[in-house]
Amino acid sequence: MTADILSKVEGPRAGRLSRLRARHGGLRPLLLGLVLPLGVIATATLVRLIVRGDPWEMAGPPLLWPGEDDQFPLGTDALGRDILTGIAAGAPVSLLIGLVSAALTVGLGMTIGALGGYYGGRVDAVLMRVTELFQTVPQFILAVVLVAIIKPSVATIVIAIGVVSWPPTARLMRAQFLALREREFVQAARTLGMGDWQLIRTQFLPNALPPIIVMSSLTVALAIQTEAALAFMGLGDPNVMTWGGMVGAGQQDLMGAWYVCGLPGLAILVTVLAFNLLGEWLNDALNPRLGER
Amino acid sequence: MALLEVRGLKTWFDTARGTVRAVDGVDFHVDRGETLALVGESGSGKSVTAYSLLRLLAPPGRVVGGRALFDGVDLLTLDAARLRALRGGRIAMIFQEPMTALNPVMTVGAQVAEAVRLHSPVSRRQAWDRAVELLDRVRIPAAATRARSYPHELSGGMRQRVVIAMALACQPDLLIADEPTTALDVTTQAQILDLLRDLQRDMGMALILITHDLGVVAEVADRAAVFYAGRVVEQGPVAGLFDRPRHPYTRGLLASLRLENAVPGTRLPEIAGTVPSLLDLPPGCAFAPRCGQATDACRLATPVLATSMLDGGDGWQAACWAEVLSIPRAERIAELALS
Repeated sequence: MTADILSKVEGPRAGRLSRLRARHGGLRPLLLGLVLPLGVIATATLVRLIVRGDPWEMAGPPLLWPGEDDQFPLGTDALGRDILTGIAAGAPVSLLIGLVSAALTVGLGMTIGALGGYYGGRVDAVLMRVTELFQTVPQFILAVVLVAIIKPSVATIVIAIGVVSWPPTARLMRAQFLALREREFVQAARTLGMGDWQLIRTQFLPNALPPIIVMSSLTVALAIQTEAALAFMGLGDPNVMTWGGMVGAGQQDLMGAWYVCGLPGLAILVTVLAFNLLGEWLNDALNPRLGER
Repeated sequence: MALLEVRGLKTWFDTARGTVRAVDGVDFHVDRGETLALVGESGSGKSVTAYSLLRLLAPPGRVVGGRALFDGVDLLTLDAARLRALRGGRIAMIFQEPMTALNPVMTVGAQVAEAVRLHSPVSRRQAWDRAVELLDRVRIPAAATRARSYPHELSGGMRQRVVIAMALACQPDLLIADEPTTALDVTTQAQILDLLRDLQRDMGMALILITHDLGVVAEVADRAAVFYAGRVVEQGPVAGLFDRPRHPYTRGLLASLRLENAVPGTRLPEIAGTVPSLLDLPPGCAFAPRCGQATDACRLATPVLATSMLDGGDGWQAACWAEVLSIPRAERIAELALS
């Protein structure tokens, strides 16, 4: 009885983490959603520390199958380059391009969506027309054109991905802001004398963020995919080994030596899957309405 | 001089079906330390009046005329920066729905502290201490612990106390309370009203209480302004208003409350007819179609709030031809107008 009352008094002080844990329920989604992406990042870093060779070097005989020679556990490609070294060298590139361009995407999208949703009216009309313009052009083709016009390099690829993929984030952010604008607590904060920036900082952003966070992890996955696709088409940075580039280089030998394409492809698959699962887990963890299930 | 003096306030809404004159020439004043109740049915313009004062209306609502002098400064023409300094600083407002008036992702203590820091240059630590002090002042038990709660962990009455604490953060001269007890159950209502009354007395602030509950008016207010179809039809001290209402609408409202004389099984007393659409107001007095005493004058010309000829100077005002003028004279005016 006393313990019961005490637990009620203590209720509001109970840790956020334990409440979060109680909400998303079960260990498996946590394992898949949180551990897999962290695992991918950790593996990428660790493998690169161990496998330090030059990925461009012709290290052995061409088209060695995985397991055929202990020196090349994942085999070699048509030019005799070690595939394990290639995957290890490509991992940080893929992840970094993915994360940085996703950050750019989210930053652009949040700013544009927030401005449109907060100010409404003419500002919103102009920003949304621009957003629609970007949405009507097929994303990937626009990225190809952008990279082809400017010289392909890590920086231009990051910028191209950022420039083509912000519209969904902007629309989501705008929708959040539009809904929040009508909420009474925002009106109440206005009557307390808050200015625009204070309102955005203390009232809008904290309430708008959960779905944006979820979307960000999906944006990372999409950015990694887009980068791989660009590299596959030969529009990657020619000085950097990437997974997409390896898949592209291996396509001539697809019939005889599928692993040249398949293994880097598998790396892309696992990484993209990891960030998608992270998104799903965040969605469950941040959605209070799913908590009662 | 009155703390707040509202003259001829007009707030209209442009809609596809025409202009809705939600507030159409409202006059009232509030003195320092006084409680004024704005009474009326839903849609009578009392909340729109309050929102207009703080310029919180979103389009299509717009203030088209009038003045609102707060300590000699017209709120309706004040520049944005000075208006923001007044909001929450000298004029605070609390809302009907405590469930939605608080930010769901911030602890209540942080929200009160934020309100403190908006208008006074104090450190985060001091603001937090002041927030706990304020929460204690609005009689939240174990305030220091409760300050770390999120709004959804508190009951409706507790949330309304938090909202009040935020409004009081900067010791306003005027508090506007928009139906502060409507969403609460009856026992909580009484507690919140007690709290408001005590705080008002201790801090010496003026209170504008918007309500449709005449019981609340009788209990808390010094004076009342009765709204009907976007205008004030009667205003004066509450005691007099309940004893001898002048305007037929007020009389009807009070009659509908006197249920002790009602015979079981018969219809309850009511005011005949319905409130006219604000899109299509009748010419003359808006209440005339429902009024048993309406004359031709009432249907022709809109009566203005005027001190009744029959009374001494207690500030009593009613907007009714039958009350302001003797009836024969009103008819004479009507004849003149018709000819």
